[in-house]
Amino acid sequence: MPILLLQDVSKDYLTDGQRVPALCGLSLQVERGEFVALVGRSGCGKSTLLNLSAAMDFPTSGQVFLDGVSTSSLKDADLTQLRREKVGFIFQSFQLLHTLKVFENVELPLLLAGKPGAREAARERLSSVELDGLGDRFPHQLSGGQMQRVAIARALIHSPGLLLADEPTGNLDTTTGNVILELLKRLTREKNTATVMATHSLEAAALASTIVRLRDGKIEEVIRR
Amino acid sequence: MSRLLLFYRLMVRPLFREPARTGLIVLAVALGVAVVLAIDLAGNAATGSFRSSLETLAGDNQLEIAASGGVPEDVVEKVASLPYAVRISPRIEDYAVVADTKKSLPLIGLDFVAQAGAFVDNSPNASQAEVQESSAKAFEHVVDNGSIWVGSSLGYKPGDRIQLLINDQVHEFSVRGVYLDANGNESAIVMDIAAAQHALTRYGRVDRILLKVPPKPSVEEWIARIRPALPVGMEVRPQGAGTNENRRMLAAFRWNLRLLSYISLVVGAFLIYNSISVSVVRRRPDIGIVRALGASRAAILAAFVGEAASFGLAGALIGIPLGRFMASGAVKLMSATVEALYVSSRPGSIELDAASIFLALAIGVGVALLSAYSPAREAALVSPVEAMARGRREYDVRMHKGRDLLLALALGIAAAIASRAPAVSGKPLFGYLATLLLVAASALAIPGVVSAATSATSKIIQSLLGVEAMLASRSLAASLRRTSVLVAALSTAVAMMTAVGIMVGSFRQSVVLWMSNQLPADLYLRPAGSPAADRHPTISPGLADEIAKLPGVVAVERLRAYEIRYQGMPATLASADLNVLDVIRWYPHSEFLSGRPQQRVLPELRHSNAVVVSEPFSYKHHLKAGEFITLSLGETQAVFHIADVYYDYSSERGSILMDRNTMLRYLPDPAPSNLAIYLSPGSNPEAVRAEIEKATAGHRVLVFSNRDLRTEAVRIFDRTFAITYALEAVAVVVAVMGIAGALLALVIDRRRELGLLRFLGAASGQIRKLILVEAGLLGLLANLVGLLLGFALSLILIFVINKQSFGWTIRFHWPAAILLGAITVVYAATVLAGLYPAQMAMRLNPLEVIHEE
Repeated sequence: MPILLLQDVSKDYLTDGQRVPALCGLSLQVERGEFVALVGRSGCGKSTLLNLSAAMDFPTSGQVFLDGVSTSSLKDADLTQLRREKVGFIFQSFQLLHTLKVFENVELPLLLAGKPGAREAARERLSSVELDGLGDRFPHQLSGGQMQRVAIARALIHSPGLLLADEPTGNLDTTTGNVILELLKRLTREKNTATVMATHSLEAAALASTIVRLRDGKIEEVIRR
Repeated sequence: MSRLLLFYRLMVRPLFREPARTGLIVLAVALGVAVVLAIDLAGNAATGSFRSSLETLAGDNQLEIAASGGVPEDVVEKVASLPYAVRISPRIEDYAVVADTKKSLPLIGLDFVAQAGAFVDNSPNASQAEVQESSAKAFEHVVDNGSIWVGSSLGYKPGDRIQLLINDQVHEFSVRGVYLDANGNESAIVMDIAAAQHALTRYGRVDRILLKVPPKPSVEEWIARIRPALPVGMEVRPQGAGTNENRRMLAAFRWNLRLLSYISLVVGAFLIYNSISVSVVRRRPDIGIVRALGASRAAILAAFVGEAASFGLAGALIGIPLGRFMASGAVKLMSATVEALYVSSRPGSIELDAASIFLALAIGVGVALLSAYSPAREAALVSPVEAMARGRREYDVRMHKGRDLLLALALGIAAAIASRAPAVSGKPLFGYLATLLLVAASALAIPGVVSAATSATSKIIQSLLGVEAMLASRSLAASLRRTSVLVAALSTAVAMMTAVGIMVGSFRQSVVLWMSNQLPADLYLRPAGSPAADRHPTISPGLADEIAKLPGVVAVERLRAYEIRYQGMPATLASADLNVLDVIRWYPHSEFLSGRPQQRVLPELRHSNAVVVSEPFSYKHHLKAGEFITLSLGETQAVFHIADVYYDYSSERGSILMDRNTMLRYLPDPAPSNLAIYLSPGSNPEAVRAEIEKATAGHRVLVFSNRDLRTEAVRIFDRTFAITYALEAVAVVVAVMGIAGALLALVIDRRRELGLLRFLGAASGQIRKLILVEAGLLGLLANLVGLLLGFALSLILIFVINKQSFGWTIRFHWPAAILLGAITVVYAATVLAGLYPAQMAMRLNPLEVIHEE
């Protein structure tokens, strides 16, 4: 069963009473262990696709299945539960809570889900992103690359089946960005997680196992390697 | 013009994007302004425009002759025989109660023969046929003891019959005419002086003689000319001096109420400060851009000060009608207090004049400008580059925590020193300064307290209330500046509530304890009619003897009180029947400041020129036990030794107590004002009471059991302080509204973080819990700081401000149940104030807020 399945998904937004299509009849299947890069110009539907995949938004038509469960059929509490178990999210601007230490940022999803062993899991994830010993620092004491590693550790803390990354290297220099991409690729393989990454960078996309090129809300091309 | 347009676009328009928050701040200011205005207007109506009811129909006289216990009638002849063209108007002045309406009215006895012309002239409206007719017929009935004239507003017509309760007797009168009770006159019952003397059984004496003297020489010169012609004990003074004395007596009462009304404004000031600080932090990038585009520092300063002024102006404009409305309620409470504790008066009309409106506007805008100046100046000093640096503001606060704590300590010490200073012109100015210093010290200490409290309890809170509580606690610590101001605002309101609660509770407890010593008799009897601190209607002299003969009655103590003036201030001169000392059940606690027991002090008064004085009297006139006072009594001046000073919470006016036999030597009227009735052991008080009521049939008297009297006293006490509770409640409401507004701002500012939490798996209920826990933590911190500060303030209120204002010794008492209840309500209100912001946080669209940056 694919971890993510989009079937004939369309998504429209209403802006000032006008219907603006973001995705048009898009279908996509992502398997565990797969590293998918979504590429295309701004406004082509990359972020919308990520939001639908994260069960943070719902299609206007068509269906999104997350590990076999249709997101449209669930109530808010069940959707929250589904996200807690299946999805991890990485943002371009890291989105760390500056009032929390690194450890506390990483363990936050487990704490919100009320799961035990958060600190041990955070320590292990920080180790896997090569940030041992920095757990007691605050985000503002880290570099941009380190902050994104913290964000990756946080996204993986609950071993999600699907890791969604929205321009994860957009705020980083090329060298650091490449390190982060390598890290994502390694973790995808090691944790058998499916990673879907939206990016403008062709260099970043080149590291993916599958490249999905979007244009005007439709899949223009799928390149599998 | 272009600057105004820019101000509107950059500063005012954004306020409309957050209508709930803007509305709450404006409403908080409006309430603060309204309370101050209401107390001012009500104070003016109840006491400020105070004019003794007895000044009704006083006319254009410039001088008055008065004496304790009344002026002998022969003084009228003495003054008339002086070789001066002086108009002489003797008056009898007392109160009567209309039997059917129970309305208490001044009873004025005028010498109609001498001044009928003047009286008629005072009824000038020719269109008033009834007035004219009554004026024309005035002379027909002047010697008729059953004729009265009444104020037109009472609604009686000539020919109406009216029953009046005068002292303990009901008399029936015919209304012979009405006079216009406008133009400074009040409704009163007017009768011929001889009829008044008859009704009051006050023969041979009048209460005042009013004098109209020629315009030259000066009034002072006329006083100097007339004084030598008067017997000892008579005082000649400017007419209406009593009114001025009463006004002076009421000054402390008004002053303290006015200051209490400023608490809501202080709380409002904290909230404006917070609001402008938040505005500055939020608009840092905008400040940078505008500065880079050429705005000067002065323009930035003006923009933020202008924003605050908008809050102040809008608040004042709403506060003015609100204050006028609140004044209607306040004036009733204040008048009841004035009547119970000070002097008979009737509230004037509430007048919202241009000066009051200007005052309200000045207060609203002034407080807003003062509280906004510091954050506005800070905004102006920020460089364009610095303006882009987020978070520096909070860093500054953390950096200054230690310094602020030291400053708080210094202010605390200064407050302790100020609280030791004496009163200035009878006003506890240093006491007020001490409270302000303590509030400032507390505000400065709060960042340190919040920081320490949140870091020390973060783990405990998380284990008790979950991760949401930990996030809430961290958020409060991170926005230390904002949190501190909110805690300062709410804690100030809670502190004042606590302090006033402790003060009133202690006062109440002191009164209850005092009454248990003060009221030893089983039954008490007084004339019917509404009581007031300066009214002393009498009981028929023979009634006490009749009651003493009843089975079950061991003794009857006759108490008499007179309204006198001592050193230009009103006071009560009272006497007690010390012959009954043998049957008094002595109480174990001393009523005297010296600590001596009653059975040692009171016998010293027996048949001697010795008195005991009340604590407020002793304090006002700087008199101590062992000293001597000279009192003008009747036609003599006598010197009395002060045997001791007794605790007295019944009135702030001050009292002098002597043996009844001593008083009768100077003021021979035997009629008592009250009776204290002692029953034999084992007798049934209800049965004896029924016997007394039977024996006093035909007299309008009220009999109270000891318990009734205590209950009534406590009821009057509670009514007296109702207004202080109302003021505290408004301050707390203002603070809670501020918390709600600030939490709304917090939700808006932290929407990105809240959206992120949804991405990280937070359920919407967890977001709500986070905001509610934040509100709860704010409330908890504010309540704790408020309780501590309130305790310190209560000590200043009880032992400095109250003592220096009123002279009462109050024993400290924790009204634990009331305080706990009040704190619980405030805490619940704070958490409830978080409900709407929490709902708003739940409704945030995480997709929108997370992608905003």
